[in-house]
Amino acid sequence: MKLLNNGVNDRNSRLKLGAIIVALVALIILPLCIESDYIKHLLIMVCIGTILGMTFSMLYSTGLITLGAAAFYAVGAYTSTMLVTSAGLSFWAALPLTVIVAVVLSLGFGAIFVRNAGVAFVIITLIFVQVIVIAAGQVEFLGGWGGIMGIPRPDSLGPVEFTTKQDLYYLILAILLLIIIIYNALYSSRIGRAWRAIKLSPNLAGTLGINAYRYRLLAFVIGSTTAAVAGCFYAHYFQNITPGAFAGWLSIYVQLYAVLGGLEFYILGPAFGAVIMTFVPEYLRVVKEIEPIVTGVLLLIIILFFPGGILGTIKNPPDLSLKSFKSRLSRVKNRLSQGNKS
Amino acid sequence: MVLLEIQNITKIFGGLIALRDVSFDINRSEIVGLIGPNGAGKSTLFNIISGFHHPDKGRILFKDRQINGLQVDRIARMGIGRIFQEPTLFMQETIFENVLSGFHRHYREAAWKALLHTPAANREERIKKNKAIEILEFMELSALSGELAANLPHGRQRVLAIAIALASEPDLLLLDEPVTGMNPSETTTMIEKIRQIRGRGITVLIVEHDMRAVMSLCDRIVVLNLGVKLVEGTPDRIKSDERVIEAYLGKQVI
Repeated sequence: MKLLNNGVNDRNSRLKLGAIIVALVALIILPLCIESDYIKHLLIMVCIGTILGMTFSMLYSTGLITLGAAAFYAVGAYTSTMLVTSAGLSFWAALPLTVIVAVVLSLGFGAIFVRNAGVAFVIITLIFVQVIVIAAGQVEFLGGWGGIMGIPRPDSLGPVEFTTKQDLYYLILAILLLIIIIYNALYSSRIGRAWRAIKLSPNLAGTLGINAYRYRLLAFVIGSTTAAVAGCFYAHYFQNITPGAFAGWLSIYVQLYAVLGGLEFYILGPAFGAVIMTFVPEYLRVVKEIEPIVTGVLLLIIILFFPGGILGTIKNPPDLSLKSFKSRLSRVKNRLSQGNKS
Repeated sequence: MVLLEIQNITKIFGGLIALRDVSFDINRSEIVGLIGPNGAGKSTLFNIISGFHHPDKGRILFKDRQINGLQVDRIARMGIGRIFQEPTLFMQETIFENVLSGFHRHYREAAWKALLHTPAANREERIKKNKAIEILEFMELSALSGELAANLPHGRQRVLAIAIALASEPDLLLLDEPVTGMNPSETTTMIEKIRQIRGRGITVLIVEHDMRAVMSLCDRIVVLNLGVKLVEGTPDRIKSDERVIEAYLGKQVI
């Protein structure tokens, strides 16, 4: 709907603009109100998580589900690290070069992957991320399984330094906002319309002249490149990278950010999901051993009973009566028993 | 002037012959009906013309260029639009967004200009939106333009499917059962709309079971039976053709 009815939604769009400004101010002054470096670290992880979640959502908006969101995150982290530590480039030279490497690689791999929709794509991306992790671990030049230590922080830009958690938070926030602006422009343009068309009805999209392959490849390249940028930041923030950091679980978590926040909200969904998935487990850590179980059960409940995610549930509040609960429960049972049969 | 030439099309599905050696032409600005009992091969032929299936033998020329073997979206970009028999819409989007998606192949400004909202791109977007409004008015869907496609009754969904196809500004429009399941007054309106669509310079090929609609609408009718072209001619000729009556219409219908 956004931006479609010019003039009609004037009040709505003014409200939206207001909300954006408030959120922006809040995000900028937030670290100033926080003493704890640990919380600032969590905020940075939220920003990274949001970016990765958005890349998942971008492919989802074309009807593809990826379990390899972390693959190009790793590619970005390793590329930038090698450019800085081995080639001696500055962070600010390595970043654009990382983008170019990511575009080229994602174009090459995407050209093969995107030919397969549905479950095949899920499996391919899942395997791809494992291959990347194993490759990084096996190659001596990339530091092997021990990874690479002592990666320098981003170089200072004139008077602006990137040494404290606060500086780095502002850097990743700026990157996140830039990505949000680009993604929003894409989603509200005819490109985003074509992506949704492919997802909602590939057949109809085809008869309107939309080439699903090319548009999905575009989404794959943009998403992968974005993830690589996040990886680039991650490497220079943590100052050390190991292949294990990019292994299976990360891609699953990234997907959960998008599902939890609301799959149909391509930008805000991952943001909400990342905030909750980062902070809630932290405070659930009463008994560390069972934390993943508690988080997992919570997620299961949300996915089964609130499939719209948090934002979807807020937008279309579910009927909370006992009757609707029972019908939903029976639907879930049906789904589970079907799953058992197959 | 010939727009579409169907030449000796044969299509076999796992040993079952769906179409055998079917040939006919469609001229510009004609309304041609394609009829036949269930299983005659009408939908298969539609799917072959629009690129969802590829023929085993024969070729299809559109504007004198061979199109069989091309991808669906490529054929669509050459100017063939279609609606599907089952409701095929962007269900989770509004009516207006559905129609706007139809313009996809007619954007001329580069995509990056649209992303940067350059004046030229904004102007183009505005023009498309005005055209979408015009099409919604033409198809009498204006009042519903903010409604989700999924919430429309069945008959209106069919109308919307045609509105989307119109937005893609095809030269040839394939209509698969446009009035099936509609009540008589909706059918009458739809027949009138299809005439007006032809008036816009769009050639129409129509598959329909509603004989009254087909007979009143079409300039020419092609009858398929068991994958073979039985006969081709004006509605009057088809009505009186004994083979057609035997094979399909039944003796008491007309």
